[in-house]
Amino acid sequence: MKKMVGVLVLLLVAASMSFGQARVVVNEWQVPFLNSLTGAIAAIGEFLQWGAEYAAAEINAAGGIAGKPVRVIPVDTALDPQKGSVEMARIVKDTLVAMGPVPEPVIMAAMPIAVENGMVSMTATTSYEYAARFFPWTVSWFPPTLDRLPPLVAAWAKQFPAMKNVVQFIEPYGPWPGMAGAHSSALRSLGMVTNAEKAAKLIKELKNLGWTKMNQILVFSSADDAQLYATGGSDINGVQVYNYLNLETSNPRWDKFKTEFAKAHKGNMPFSLSPNYYDALYMIKEAIEKTGVTGDPKRLKEERKMIADYMANVKGFKGLLFDWDMKDGIPTNKPTYIFEIQGGKKKLVMEVRP
Amino acid sequence: MPLSVYYFLTIAAVNILMTWAIYLPYRVAHLHFITVANMAISGYLSGYLVMELQMSFFLALLIGFAVGGIIGYVVSLFIGDAPTFAVVIVGFTFIYITRTVVENIPIIGGTMGMFGLPNVGSSPAAHRNIIIILLYSLVLVVGFLIHRFDNSRLGRAASAIFVDKDLATSLGVDIKKVGQLVQVFSCIVAGGVGVLYGFIYKSFHLDFFTFHLIGVFMTTIFVGGYSTLWGTVLAAPILYGLPLLFPPEVQSWRIVIYGVILILVLVLKPEGFITRKLVYSIGSSLSRRREK
Repeated sequence: MKKMVGVLVLLLVAASMSFGQARVVVNEWQVPFLNSLTGAIAAIGEFLQWGAEYAAAEINAAGGIAGKPVRVIPVDTALDPQKGSVEMARIVKDTLVAMGPVPEPVIMAAMPIAVENGMVSMTATTSYEYAARFFPWTVSWFPPTLDRLPPLVAAWAKQFPAMKNVVQFIEPYGPWPGMAGAHSSALRSLGMVTNAEKAAKLIKELKNLGWTKMNQILVFSSADDAQLYATGGSDINGVQVYNYLNLETSNPRWDKFKTEFAKAHKGNMPFSLSPNYYDALYMIKEAIEKTGVTGDPKRLKEERKMIADYMANVKGFKGLLFDWDMKDGIPTNKPTYIFEIQGGKKKLVMEVRP
Repeated sequence: MPLSVYYFLTIAAVNILMTWAIYLPYRVAHLHFITVANMAISGYLSGYLVMELQMSFFLALLIGFAVGGIIGYVVSLFIGDAPTFAVVIVGFTFIYITRTVVENIPIIGGTMGMFGLPNVGSSPAAHRNIIIILLYSLVLVVGFLIHRFDNSRLGRAASAIFVDKDLATSLGVDIKKVGQLVQVFSCIVAGGVGVLYGFIYKSFHLDFFTFHLIGVFMTTIFVGGYSTLWGTVLAAPILYGLPLLFPPEVQSWRIVIYGVILILVLVLKPEGFITRKLVYSIGSSLSRRREK
């Protein structure tokens, strides 16, 4: 009799645990990632993809999302708006949540399709100014440019009170002129808003012309990639650069990520933006688990909305490098870092928080 | 209609029309790449008219056609009878100038691009219906006009210019006038297509109008066949659609596959798959069947 009561109690406990928690109906969570895996920015696409797939492997090893494995499906848009729009139209029919597209021209061609169909697609590499156009069906990975860059540039300039004039080299691409404008608003005139190779070449040329105050050159985050170091060599020693990625931060997840990234990338440390889609997949996992999304095709519309609402205002999200909050789709407390380059490595100068 | 089919069909129509806009001047040996700049100019202008001045889309579309034609006409006054190479250089220069001008006009989005173009119809579905009807109507009209041109005295004059300008002149062909005619026509088409292209995506970005497009159109002409308009009708959807069917593992080889196809066609079938001779023999056999 006692045995039977025990079994009954166990059954009741099990039943009460499952009560209120929706039953997942999918055998596998599939998350398409519209990424530029071929074409001019294939190298960037590769490490964004690597980050997402590494996150999927880690999540699956820890039990998956709500008990089911997750798979990131690579969808190559080849930096082509034509291909991007057809691919988005293809996945939008029955996908719960997607990642990408990358980069801006494909975002502009494909995201209106996601918006029209009410599906979240996480554009985790673009600036707020692009992402905000597609709220609530994406979230911004960065605060508004005019909120985040002026304090950063002001903090950099404060190091050099004698600095009177600053020249800014700007490449007219996507949001970069706007970012340059945000730099300027912190000072009377102003860094370097060009791609990595051009930034390195400009610095080398400045040095050839006799420039010696290397730390009074500030390179913006998008130029902080392998080409800057490969092209610049020892000529960029002392140059300062800002980024959202701090390789000096240490926590078990980030340390393991760095080790695995280096193994997969000929010893290179993670580049700018490397963790973005790692974090994006974890945010999807959290949204699904916290909102009780089931993956039921009959509830697709409703569950897409649940994910969008959750992500827009997620609090205390445990990112790879730091925790952050979102308010109405905008991160509120992400830090930015200023580094000084020495011998191909970055040394932290300061952390700037909004 | 499934959404992916809609995007496939509309973009295929854009590629057909734009390839024809390059095919037609090529009838007089002009590679008239200014058409890509025309797409951008008319597209951005229509976006501005609709978004900022609340003009009706259809009026903006007509203005897009007209602006394309005006630019084409003015430029043709200078390059109507220019050598192929000069026309290519003018086209590339025009694309660069257009990009720089657009980058520096904040009111049309500058480097950021233009977002949020409205639906043409009362709903997204109506918008899609209108856009696809407009595009395929345009394909029919432009195709008909080019077909008539190809089979007219003007078409034969164009063929003579293609083979030898001096010979054409000695036959009494006004090289400049024929050159101007085909250039202006192709610019009118490109202007209108540019407007529709942006309204497919409901946005404009300068990277919608890159040299990549010229690559796509040139591949379409040379694979499909540059001596008749029918090659484009066949090659545009196939070359655009085929890679979409590739499995992910093959996707990264897409450009190599394109390149190999182009080289093979140029070596083995320099006139492309659909030649004038082939069209003629198909036409003859069809008319024989009708007679029976």
